[in-house]
Amino acid sequence: MITFDSHSTDPYYNLAFEEYIFTHFRQEDVFLLWRSAPCMVVGSYQNICREVRPVKLWRQGVPVLRRISGGGAVYHDLGNLNYSCITTQDGGVDYGKSLAPILEALNAIGVPARQNRTSDIAIGEEKISGSAQRSAGGRLLHHGTLLFDSDLTALEDISVRGKNDCVQTKGTQSAICAVTNIRPHLAEDMTIETFRQRLLDHMVPDPGGRRELTPDQREEIFRLRDEKYYSWEWTWGRTPAFTYEKHGVFSGAPFHAAYAAKHGIVSDAAIDCPALDAAQAVRLLNGARLGPESFAGICEALAGERSPELLELLL
Amino acid sequence: MEKELAMPKLRPEMTSGVLCAWLKEEGDQVEAGEPLYEVETDKVVNQIEATASGVLKKQLWEEGDQVVPGAPVAILETE
Repeated sequence: MITFDSHSTDPYYNLAFEEYIFTHFRQEDVFLLWRSAPCMVVGSYQNICREVRPVKLWRQGVPVLRRISGGGAVYHDLGNLNYSCITTQDGGVDYGKSLAPILEALNAIGVPARQNRTSDIAIGEEKISGSAQRSAGGRLLHHGTLLFDSDLTALEDISVRGKNDCVQTKGTQSAICAVTNIRPHLAEDMTIETFRQRLLDHMVPDPGGRRELTPDQREEIFRLRDEKYYSWEWTWGRTPAFTYEKHGVFSGAPFHAAYAAKHGIVSDAAIDCPALDAAQAVRLLNGARLGPESFAGICEALAGERSPELLELLL
Repeated sequence: MEKELAMPKLRPEMTSGVLCAWLKEEGDQVEAGEPLYEVETDKVVNQIEATASGVLKKQLWEEGDQVVPGAPVAILETE
């Protein structure tokens, strides 16, 4: 088993780092531990508009990223430790087999954790870890989150619990579960740095397994970050086709909006509200790219200083 | 001649998977072993490789469709 340190908390870089190692180190088993600054990460085939609150996150400066594995949306911050296990694919999907070494290491460190549901790790009935996989070219990427001392209030605040069901879409739906941090359940308290080190020592005991990437490899990761993970096409353009419909009140007047989106491009927009120029709204929305930036621009043009209120209704 | 490519059974209990992305468009040349589409099942995205070479004549499902193992997924025009 070998390991690499990403030396970064940039969420875009870290997803590129993981993908690069998954696709380029094809002979050895690899174990990675990495942490990212606050961000939301959706599954490969998820509808961002349904699974997260894009406007709220945008206002809070929390970026939304798309990963290459399946499953649901997760929140990362520096209190969350991510792990990745990259191995040769051996048989079909078996989360039990993938989770066993992680559970063993957690138990050895003093975390009273067990597998729960198919792909979660829990303490009692509360989830501390979710995981997902990607299988390609005979290799398997199994990765997961470990809530160590994450800001659970922030997580609850941006969850989609109670979000209006105005998006009709295909795509993978996230499960909303009760979660807890690992740290308060430890018999002996430790920092996340110590937790990380002890987990790494269990998973990669051989000091010869600690590797460093070359400057050229890091360059390639930067390129993958810039071309894929920063791109609107990957993050928003991969959102499954959907239709959106919202009834509400804008500027004290009844409001109704509907549109469709495919490959992240809006079509078939219909707006009905006496406080808005519906024809202009339709003209601006049709052909627009999904996302808070472009929608904020449209709302600015349509509603001036009331644009924040309109943005909440449109995305 | 035409050759149908079928959805593989990715684990014994698999009842269906979601075809979440086509990696080749109709009209594209496809080589055996090249990635052709992706299927999500149980939070796993599986990249599925073509099992024959030819021109992708027909994608039989749209992205987002549930497909059962054994069902034809694509038609290749082989030589």
